[in-house]
Amino acid sequence: MTSSERALAHLPPGTDPPRSLPLLLDRVAEPFRRGAAPEPQPSTGFYTDTTVCIGCKACEVACKQWNLLPADGFDWTGNSYDNTGGLSATSWRHVKFIEQLPGGVLGELLDPGRWLMMSDVCKHCVTAPCQQACPTGAIVYNEFGNVYIQPDVCNGCAYCIAACPFGVITRSTIDGHAHKCTLCFDRQRDGLVPACAKACPTASIQFGPVDELRERARQRVADLHERGVTDAYLYGDRPGDTYSALNSFYLLVDRPSVYGLPETPVNPWLRMKGDYLRAAVSGLVSLAALLAALALAGGPG
Amino acid sequence: MTAPLNADPTQQATIAGYQSRPVTKPPNWHGLVTLDLLVNNLSSGLFMVAVLAELVAPAVFRPLASVAYPLALAWLLVDLVCLVLDLGDPARFHHMLRVWKPSSPMSLGTWCLTAYAAPLTLVAGLSLVPVEWGLEGARRVIAVVGLVPALAAAAYKGVLFSTTAQRGWGDARWFGGYLVNSALVLGAAELLLIGLARGRPQAVELLRVASLLLLPLNLVALGLLLADIRAALTEARGARTFVRVAVLAAAGGILLPLGLVALGGTVALVTAMLLLLLGALVVRDEIVRLPHRLHHRPHAAP
Amino acid sequence: MPGLGTSFGRGAATNYQQDLAHSDCVLFMGSNMAEAHPVAFRWPLKAKEEGATLIHVDPRYTRTSALCDVHVGIRAGSDIAFLGGLVNYVLTHDRWFKEYVLHYTNAATIVEEGFRDTEDLDGLFSGYHGNRRTGHYSAREGQWGYAGAAAAEQAQEEWDEEWTGATPMYRMHKQDLGMHGHSLDSGPTSHAGARQQMTACEPEQHRDLTLQDPNCVFQILKRHFARYTPELVSQVCGCAPEELVRVAELLCANSGRERTTAVVYALGWTQHTTGVQMIRTAAILQLLLGNMGRPGGGIMAMRGHSTIQGSTDLSTLYDSLPGYLPQPCADESHETLDAYIRQEGQTTGYWANFRKFVVSLLKAWYGDAATPDNEFGFAWLPRPDADYSQLPYFDRMAKGEVKGYFLWGQNPAGGSPNAGLHRAGLRQLDWLVVADWFEIESAVFWRNDPAAPPPSEIKTEVFFLPAAASQEKEGSLTNTQRLLQWHDKALDPLGDSRSDAWFLYQLGKRLKRLYAGSTDPRDQPLLNLTWDYEFDHPPRLPDGSLSRIEGEPDLEKVLMEINGYRLDQTDPRTGRPRLVSGFAELEDDGSTACGCWIYSGVFPEPGRNRARERKRGTDSIHPEWGYAWPHNRRVLYNRASADPEGRPWSERKKLVWWDAQARRWVGPDEPDFDLDTPPDYRPPRGATGLDAIAGDQPFIMKPDGQAWLFAPGGVRDGPLPAHFEPVESPVGNLIYPRQPTNPTVRFFEGPLNRIAHTPTLEYPVVATTCRLTEHYLSGPMSRFNSWLNELMPAMFVELSPELAAERGIVHGGWLTVTTARSRIEARAMVTRRLRPLRVAGRVMHQIGLPFHWAFAGEVVGDNANDLTSLVADPNVSMHEAKAFACQVSAGRREGAVPRPTVAPAPWPRTRLPDTPAAAQPEGRFTRDE
Ligand SMILES: Nc1nc2c(c(=O)[nH]1)N[C@H]1C(S)=C(S)[C@@H](COP(=O)(O)OP(=O)(O)OC[C@H]3O[C@@H](n4cnc5c(=O)[nH]c(N)nc54)[C@H](O)[C@@H]3O)O[C@H]1N2
Ligand SMILES: Nc1nc2c(c(=O)[nH]1)N[C@H]1C(S)=C(S)[C@@H](COP(=O)(O)OP(=O)(O)OC[C@H]3O[C@@H](n4cnc5c(=O)[nH]c(N)nc54)[C@H](O)[C@@H]3O)O[C@H]1N2
Ligand code: SF4
Ligand code: SF4
Ligand code: SF4
Ligand code: SF4
Ligand code: SF4
Ligand SMILES: [Mo]
Repeated sequence: MTSSERALAHLPPGTDPPRSLPLLLDRVAEPFRRGAAPEPQPSTGFYTDTTVCIGCKACEVACKQWNLLPADGFDWTGNSYDNTGGLSATSWRHVKFIEQLPGGVLGELLDPGRWLMMSDVCKHCVTAPCQQACPTGAIVYNEFGNVYIQPDVCNGCAYCIAACPFGVITRSTIDGHAHKCTLCFDRQRDGLVPACAKACPTASIQFGPVDELRERARQRVADLHERGVTDAYLYGDRPGDTYSALNSFYLLVDRPSVYGLPETPVNPWLRMKGDYLRAAVSGLVSLAALLAALALAGGPG
Repeated sequence: MTAPLNADPTQQATIAGYQSRPVTKPPNWHGLVTLDLLVNNLSSGLFMVAVLAELVAPAVFRPLASVAYPLALAWLLVDLVCLVLDLGDPARFHHMLRVWKPSSPMSLGTWCLTAYAAPLTLVAGLSLVPVEWGLEGARRVIAVVGLVPALAAAAYKGVLFSTTAQRGWGDARWFGGYLVNSALVLGAAELLLIGLARGRPQAVELLRVASLLLLPLNLVALGLLLADIRAALTEARGARTFVRVAVLAAAGGILLPLGLVALGGTVALVTAMLLLLLGALVVRDEIVRLPHRLHHRPHAAP
Repeated sequence: MPGLGTSFGRGAATNYQQDLAHSDCVLFMGSNMAEAHPVAFRWPLKAKEEGATLIHVDPRYTRTSALCDVHVGIRAGSDIAFLGGLVNYVLTHDRWFKEYVLHYTNAATIVEEGFRDTEDLDGLFSGYHGNRRTGHYSAREGQWGYAGAAAAEQAQEEWDEEWTGATPMYRMHKQDLGMHGHSLDSGPTSHAGARQQMTACEPEQHRDLTLQDPNCVFQILKRHFARYTPELVSQVCGCAPEELVRVAELLCANSGRERTTAVVYALGWTQHTTGVQMIRTAAILQLLLGNMGRPGGGIMAMRGHSTIQGSTDLSTLYDSLPGYLPQPCADESHETLDAYIRQEGQTTGYWANFRKFVVSLLKAWYGDAATPDNEFGFAWLPRPDADYSQLPYFDRMAKGEVKGYFLWGQNPAGGSPNAGLHRAGLRQLDWLVVADWFEIESAVFWRNDPAAPPPSEIKTEVFFLPAAASQEKEGSLTNTQRLLQWHDKALDPLGDSRSDAWFLYQLGKRLKRLYAGSTDPRDQPLLNLTWDYEFDHPPRLPDGSLSRIEGEPDLEKVLMEINGYRLDQTDPRTGRPRLVSGFAELEDDGSTACGCWIYSGVFPEPGRNRARERKRGTDSIHPEWGYAWPHNRRVLYNRASADPEGRPWSERKKLVWWDAQARRWVGPDEPDFDLDTPPDYRPPRGATGLDAIAGDQPFIMKPDGQAWLFAPGGVRDGPLPAHFEPVESPVGNLIYPRQPTNPTVRFFEGPLNRIAHTPTLEYPVVATTCRLTEHYLSGPMSRFNSWLNELMPAMFVELSPELAAERGIVHGGWLTVTTARSRIEARAMVTRRLRPLRVAGRVMHQIGLPFHWAFAGEVVGDNANDLTSLVADPNVSMHEAKAFACQVSAGRREGAVPRPTVAPAPWPRTRLPDTPAAAQPEGRFTRDE
């Protein structure tokens, strides 16, 4: 039992269904209650160095085990060693395998090629479209600056799913709610490292205060360049013109699209105002036309 | 399982990788959402047209009010049912009202619908009481007040769709613009039909002229919208189908009705209005399905 | 592992995994470390960060290759050719570490005149008896011994006479039994008294420090490996000559005084009929480069099961006693203790203490019943009369010669080579006891094997004992770096499940009760066995509550017995015999008891279980983290990390050195040498034991204190490695055309075990089997777990686009693999990670099969081990699952397919009981109502 669990142990279990009207009312009122906001902490995040990932998937399993997530079913995809396909409400970590090997007969001294591996996860965007989208306020920035879906608030409207440029979130059919990486909010509150980072044997997943991580990552890129790995670069370590920085950023050695990441993510909210304007213009023009028509035609009669 | 012997290894289908796959995940919005897009407009459109019509020519339109507003209310209720049922956890629909969050079109929209529902309900109620009770004035005022949320309610869904990361939706700069306009077109059509049913040639005539003016605008809006989503729609459906959809929506859903409206006559008008409805449905359906069509996921979440 | 034992003295990984971080270059060959030892792989990666070069030589491009700087693809089974090429390169380009080789190896030693090399006899060494397909060597007839051993030979003869005129007969007999004690140097005695007789010689007389004598080991070595030119090697292996040269250059550049290279191997080497010799070749290479006994160097055998090292140390093998003492077998020379000691013992080197170890073991086992008069009960030790290693045993079982069997944590029905034959064996039993966590293939073979006859026709009665999981019991594990680590019990086992120790302890007690009072001599071993490991106080769980389990033995008592006692002294603190501080304290007069001499020191005083210690050190050695045998030495033979004068070879690579002031060996690691024998010590004539080892001879287990480039005894298929093809290969032997395969392989041919002998045309594709990170062995520990199954849900075969195209196989579709034994189907993983290779000028194909699937569990599939065969290498009865011949075709096979025996766990939709909402696991999805 972690310390926070012990602290919470006296609370009534959330399982019992409302047996009486008061309980029902309580359930209705529940989402409207507000607690005190916790002390903000320095933002934490992930730096994922894909050049040392050995594709062992320990992160994927550690995540499912810590969070007790169900398996996604047993289908063999044939897409290299990736059989879980992608991130979803029930897979919050996902390891990708990209085979880049030349053909030909052994011993013909061809360029050996590469087998890229990358452990994908929610990017915990500094400005997160999913959070901007959420109409219930279920998605919040927690005290660690992580993007967190409050499972007791989400009503499964699915807008966050449509809003995420990285295809991280889906809606679970088990409970109809949206789920994704919590950045192990519960573990962080107890001063523990996220389960996936803890399990990673090669420190491909590094967890910590983002500023430190960015420092380390940039140093690493410099080192790699020195060693001739000139295609190494950081993805999401700083904000771009169309998107904020990512609190979970990556060291990659090929174009983002190769890893199934958007080349240049765009925050849809950059366009919202303009769209409202167009709608308003169109609306007013149409209304004017309607008025005019009625007035002209109806005038004399 | 044996494939035709194929001596060229480079022709072998091997490991797919990720480049060819869409990055984003569609929200699995389907029929209910399409229906909601339509009835939302049927309600807000009818309300707005009815209000304006009453303002311009009260004598002519008052008699239609007692049908128009209750109908608009009925549409709205259908819409709300769609919205709730489409939630992953309908029992939590009220969570929508936890926060006032204008940055989220869905939140804004929810509040607009709420704000629109109130006057609509009152007006609908009042439209049923005899004029002698002298509440007409109040009804008009409330109705005019209702215009603002009605307009927003008609428009927000378009912006909700265009403010997403989905291919197609995210490109649809003019979706909101199209929807409000389309709402008014549909509203006029509905009221016109009511006029026909109630045998009010004068009202019918006025709305016929209005439609003659609104439809070309509708064509413009549709044009802009199709231009926005052309790329995505072509990718999802192929160039041919795109053209078919465009022609169906524009010619079948707007030009033909326009012609019929210009022609006049009960049969022509009724047909025109039905075609309008059909066209509107087609456009909404194509757009709602777009990202789902683009997305052939190997693994759906359970 | 005789490969290492014969070369260096101890059959275990020489360094520790963390030490790989200190390497300047690591050669992974026959190991897929990133996939099979992912956690340990962080250390080579650390080295890479520091600029080290990582090389992977593997038939497949694996997750390890992906992280290495160089990957060289070779044909499965061609490793000796490749390594031979490296050795040849080092010798011909004069890149060997002169000082090291001269002092620390037997390079200068002169071999008997009569010895003939494979060069002279078309692929055979002198002393061969057999038909070139199967047979054995007599090392003595072949005169593999050191020159000057003649005198000793004489002694041997006389001694033989005392025993029996028929000794040579018995030697033959012993050979045929395939007795191969993982004994002493954990290598077989290739003939009676080999270790002693073959190596006894007058050092000064019979060494040529100029290395010019044509009969000195160095010259023999040069001649022997001269054939392995880059061109010929590439012909055999399918790699480019340049690739071999590149690897050779990297190894040479990263060896010497300032730098060290490590070699990491695992099953890619062991699971061959030439496996022991592959490891021998690596040993020779590492000795020539001077990488043994040094930080960042050595040879890491990456072993498997969590405590497989422990199980060989404590001799779960039929032919050895704890601590690699040879199991006495049923023949005259092992009749009495004295004969046995003389036969297997050694007068020079550390093994001179042999008697102490044996007597102390007998005292530990038979307690007071073991007295000098009854030779401490030596006669009570069972005497195997045949090869009881797994493969021959199941061969007999399949022939109906075995009645009952205990399966304790093993799944031969799925995981063993030619699993079909193993299942046939199980079906022949009257009764079978399976102690396991799951209802594995070996427990449900009578019900769920799609290839088996209906249950009504299977007589075997299966008893299933539910075994406790690791967390539900205490005990120690010995990992691949010889490190004993104790783990406490976290909670009581569920229901009726019990620890393996509980089952065994209770079984022992009941048997003792059953035979109590018997005077029948053959019952005495059982009755005299010390069998008292009761807890002094009822055991408690970590949370302080009393354990629910009754009759659990106190394993710390077992560990104390393993550590050893002085029976003639009592410890005031306990009133029990005093614990010994290490094997140095052991005696041969019965005054000490010790259950496993190499572990002695693990429990030096009451309450101090060193395996349980978890103190971090300042450097990577962490001497107080667990306990490494022998005597907590983390790098074996580390005396070699200093030059002959005892100074570190270099500042960068210092580990232990001679402190002239303190006049003792010092350093961060425990010196693997007599602490106060100075470097300049020279043994007097006729010295025995460690006194016979000079101060500059680091390999103290060896009778001559030197590492063996040339093995006068110890390996049964030759003193030097030579390339032979796997028993099933599509090509003949390009290096020794007259000798396609290892001439000493043992076959078990029969309808259930057909072999397509080399060279085979019928099966043109080379197959190898391998592991995946996602699954564990034959699958019981992973295929009952949905979280792992979703990661690798189905059996597949990796093949090149070229082969796929040739056979019309489509990626993701089905294919069928056929061998002389059986036929299986699998999904096709068409990938460029496998490439066609050009062998002997013609293009050949190679496929990789994971062996994790069978017919029990949540996910099931055809079993790669239905394809593999039962053959035995002469040294350790090892099969050849890593290289065999097959045919590949598109489509599915005919016949029934396996069905899952358990459904995936349904996902709980209710919340965790007694847990507040806020503390519910995030993934435990539940609706409000
Ligand atoms: N995840 C996981 N880890 C494990 C295990 C497991 O089942 N799953 N098993 C444990 C056990 S018991 C053991 S013994 C170890 C085994 O660990 P490893 O021996 O490393 O594992 P393998 O995959 O059997 O074989 C290693 C490599 O040898 C290659 N190979 C095959 N034939 C040849 C050959 O002729 N020459 C060369 N050079 N290479 C060859 C294979 O392609 C493979 O990549 O792993 C242990 N760790
Ligand atoms: N083709 C091919 N075949 C191979 C290999 C290969 O590389 N290729 N590798 C070989 C190697 S190296 C090995 S080690 C063997 C392994 O083959 P096996 O020894 O059969 O290994 P497993 O299949 O894991 O079976 C071990 C069983 O022990 C059970 N078990 C685990 N823990 C405990 C415990 O604490 N108590 C008890 N009573 N049971 C327990 C597990 O549930 C499992 O059923 O496979 C060999 N087979
Ligand atoms: S990646 Fe997607 S889900 Fe994660 S924070 Fe950013 S927008 Fe939200
Ligand atoms: S699905 Fe849940 S989390 Fe996502 S936007 Fe809707 S309410 Fe917010
Ligand atoms: S941080 Fe926690 S929730 Fe997020 S992926 Fe890692 S383990 Fe899963
Ligand atoms: S645990 Fe680390 S190394 Fe393993 S797959 Fe995940 S990120 Fe890669
Ligand atoms: S399973 Fe255990 S032994 Fe194997 S790599 Fe993981 S931690 Fe190490
Ligand atoms: Mo193993």
